[in-house]
Amino acid sequence: MAITRAETYVIPFGPAHPGSGNFRVWLTVDGERVIEARADPGFLHRGFEKLMEYRTLLQASVLTDRIAVFEPLNWNLVFALAAEKLQGIEVPERAKYIRVLLAELTRIQSHLLWFGAAGIAMGFDTVFKVALTYREEILRVFEEATGGRVYPTGYIRPGGVRWDLPEGFLERAEGVLRHIEYHLSDLNDLFFENPSFVARTKGLAVLSPEEGIRLGASGPALRASGVPYDVRADDPYLVYDRLEFQVITRREGDALARFLVGRDEVLESVKIGIQAIRDMPEGEHAVKVGPFAKVKEGEAYVHIEAARGDAGCYIVGTGGRTPYRVKFRGPSFTLLIPVLEHLLQGVEIADVPVVYWSLNHCPADMDR
Amino acid sequence: MVTEISKLLEPFAPREEGNAVWVREPLEEAPRIWQELRELGYDYLAAISGVDWPNRGVIELVYHLWSLQEKSFVHLKVEVPRDQPRLPSACHIWGGSAAVNEREVHEMFGVEFQDNPDLSPLFLEDWEGPPPFRKDFDWRAYVREKYYCEDREEDRGYYKG
Repeated sequence: MAITRAETYVIPFGPAHPGSGNFRVWLTVDGERVIEARADPGFLHRGFEKLMEYRTLLQASVLTDRIAVFEPLNWNLVFALAAEKLQGIEVPERAKYIRVLLAELTRIQSHLLWFGAAGIAMGFDTVFKVALTYREEILRVFEEATGGRVYPTGYIRPGGVRWDLPEGFLERAEGVLRHIEYHLSDLNDLFFENPSFVARTKGLAVLSPEEGIRLGASGPALRASGVPYDVRADDPYLVYDRLEFQVITRREGDALARFLVGRDEVLESVKIGIQAIRDMPEGEHAVKVGPFAKVKEGEAYVHIEAARGDAGCYIVGTGGRTPYRVKFRGPSFTLLIPVLEHLLQGVEIADVPVVYWSLNHCPADMDR
Repeated sequence: MVTEISKLLEPFAPREEGNAVWVREPLEEAPRIWQELRELGYDYLAAISGVDWPNRGVIELVYHLWSLQEKSFVHLKVEVPRDQPRLPSACHIWGGSAAVNEREVHEMFGVEFQDNPDLSPLFLEDWEGPPPFRKDFDWRAYVREKYYCEDREEDRGYYKG
């Protein structure tokens, strides 16, 4: 929209706003109302896709940690799956179950961090503390398994996982899952069913299913608009076709629906995690992939359901020691640019952080 | 593969792989095939990947198209000449998702998309060099020139080999 009146002016939201993360969106406002939003990404552009053209598969696997701060293991996983598909590697059963368990734990901690960060952005500071207390339990479990609390340094790597789970890990992981399942309802009174939260989110920034698909939304943001697109169910990878879970959808498509989908997904992830622990077979945790294994000639595309949506990896090999080209599809790329620009039109300035955080995004996987 | 899709893609020798089809289409046919695929249910443009092939003199674009109905992929490839990389935009078919993916490919590979209303820089700030994801962009030389100095003791390591 062209700026015609003296009352319209342009203000930035981010990159230093406490609720913005490493991302900026320029808002053209008329009084308190946003009439146009323009995303300005790039604060976290590290050029991973190019860097991986100069690294072997195992080196690149360690780099994938940093694609998203919220969920490094999921990015390890999508890269490992793509590399295995290209190389024709069959992963042992045990590794598949370990991956499912860790992927679901990652989803839960990512969702908890999402609720916490949204809480901070909207003035519910207690939610941040409660959500991060439970996330902490998962981080401890991660440290035990991978050696790192947040960054696993490529624990899920081409060929399987880096090393087997420590003794007694499954019992402890199950304990954490049960604990979170029991205590998630703590957040209901504080957050999801809190009248002031509902008043701020209900009916806000409605995304229609058609627009969601056209703008490339995925994950909870799209499922909250009634599109039951979940890669785990629609294009099963690892052992998801043997596990029982529900794809959570809602019809409203507003900010509240997106948060509620996220809440219910945590419980589904707990269910999947417990099934993975119950069915975990004995055996090898990985097949050997040499550090200087040649990348085969060919190409592969793999996608998984990361916590924030459809995460994809396209890999091309030409027989060299390093991949010829690696491309990542970050779910936040479309969530934060076209979807956010669309949803911010017409909202009040005070609602900008609410809309922004309702999308369950991560600026890091947008910029890559 | 559903019959209509196989009929549509048959002339271009598709390769089937599980629930995905890989196919390379000629540039002139691209807009027609996009439109028909969209009508056959490939409504979700997951991504557009650019791959630079200097030895063949082309930039290859891969459109990763997902069908929410059929639950299958069509990976549609189209090649544009490297010295004049230009092709029609797919914005009017896949909307905002195509627009932003084209904007990224434009920035990283220098491909022009006709009729895309917004190809302004996305991630890079004040970038004046060549499109950085092209194979002939020597980022090591760029970094040496831009950020280091050969005469400085602590930078000398960057100039070996």
